[in-house]
Amino acid sequence: MAALSLSAGDARLSPSQLLDGLLRRDEFAATIVWSIRMPRLMVATLIGAALSASGLVMQAYFRNGLASPGLLGVSAGGAAGAVVAIGCGLAAVSLLTVPLFAVAGALAATGAVILLGRRGASTERLLLAGVALNALLGAVTSYVLSAHTITYERNAQILFWLIGGLEDRTWEHVWMAAPVLPAALLLLPLGRPMDLLSLGADEAQSLGVDVRRLRRRLLVLSTVLTALATAVAGTVGFVGLVVPHILRLLIGPEHRRLVPLSLVTGAAFVVGCDLLGRAAGDLRLGIVTALVGGPFFLWLLRRDGR
Amino acid sequence: MSVALSLENVSVPGRLHPLSLSIATGKLVGLAGPNGSGKSTLLAAAAGLLPVAAPGVVRWGGYALEKIPVMERGRRAAWVPQEARFEFGFSVRSVVGQARYAHGDDDAGVEEALACFDLTGIADRPVDRLSGGERHRVLLARAWATGAALQLWDEPLAALDPRHALETLMLAREMTKAGRTLVFSLHDLRVAHCLDEVVVLHDGRLRAAGPPETVLTPELLREVFGVTARVEPGLTLFL
Repeated sequence: MAALSLSAGDARLSPSQLLDGLLRRDEFAATIVWSIRMPRLMVATLIGAALSASGLVMQAYFRNGLASPGLLGVSAGGAAGAVVAIGCGLAAVSLLTVPLFAVAGALAATGAVILLGRRGASTERLLLAGVALNALLGAVTSYVLSAHTITYERNAQILFWLIGGLEDRTWEHVWMAAPVLPAALLLLPLGRPMDLLSLGADEAQSLGVDVRRLRRRLLVLSTVLTALATAVAGTVGFVGLVVPHILRLLIGPEHRRLVPLSLVTGAAFVVGCDLLGRAAGDLRLGIVTALVGGPFFLWLLRRDGR
Repeated sequence: MSVALSLENVSVPGRLHPLSLSIATGKLVGLAGPNGSGKSTLLAAAAGLLPVAAPGVVRWGGYALEKIPVMERGRRAAWVPQEARFEFGFSVRSVVGQARYAHGDDDAGVEEALACFDLTGIADRPVDRLSGGERHRVLLARAWATGAALQLWDEPLAALDPRHALETLMLAREMTKAGRTLVFSLHDLRVAHCLDEVVVLHDGRLRAAGPPETVLTPELLREVFGVTARVEPGLTLFL
């Protein structure tokens, strides 16, 4: 799939051309592979892994298979930050202004969530705070979109960003999303205690899990993963919901296997959706994941209802 | 005689008035009281799941609970909640296997626990598809499999059918004979005769504690539960 992703596009590369490009034997192919398609593929891989793992963590945290990475307002915070940056005309300053503002917005939302979590708030209160935060940050986004000072061009930019996509991603974006890797590594040993937590906090605590510490770690890792993904690709929906669900159906609910597999499968899912979108005439990633994820989710609900 | 569990001036604001209680090792203790009298609160506080107001202290085997690391607590005591809810479809065997988390997931005694609670036949079924009574037995088997010396069970018998309730009671008896200590809350006072001790709570206060025959007097039953007791040969169930 990775090879396909590197080959497909306006300038279609044959396998031998791809190899030439990868090994820098052909200058034209090398430029296309290394400057355009490789960064795109890397960003797709990183955000796929990040969103899917983040969703999995949220579902274990809230003991609910319907929890998603954006539940606590992290994606909304990233979106609000990016939209404010574009709305103020800062997007032209540098390629990285918008992602940096998105990270700042997401981190601000993360900070608010963690502060609430630290007060020993129950999951219900945390959830309600997330709902409030989502509404608040959505209002900021809507305000910028509807402000009379905004130009048509900036509005188009904002909408483009809100849908989420992988166009024109560069190596800077890849480096920016790279902390996904250490965050994922930190998540791997938490699989077993996540099993116990997903069946009840008090039960887990009585069986020897330090629930407060585990929850704090999960919250930080999940929000960092979502923040990074949102910063480099906008708000891409459904990955964190659909991928863990499929995996649970296939291999069961044990997190020791779900955590590593959700990272890999999430990456593959986003790379695949990106390919699909490109094949369908440059449909943006956020649209494809929703088009694939939405019907799947309805099917899942029907199946569970029986 | 050594003390398995002691509560010194333990109180939980709004739910439990300060009380002191000490339970000897190897005892089978029933916790009785009307709805809302504080049974679940007492068990959760004893399990270290609810913060206890100062200057109250909970001790397990003489050690102050707050000095025992969380992982070590998982080896020393087991707690069973009143409600058995499962969100995800873990298999019965894997949920019971969680008992060994604090022992490095060694799976010791898991199959035995499944057999004891009549779960071997459904060990591979997902827990979110079980009936209420079966889910309860899964939780009891998990507590049993921890091997913890102190067992705190919140209404273990309420959801079980007569046969499984009797079997559980007999397991509890065997367990305490082998030196473990079990404190559990109950509503059916007719099983009180097979307990070593009864602790009665009323409105968040300790009303009485001691052997069932001295605690459960007609006066106390009328005062606390508002019922009149009559002893007569009625329906008795055996295995």
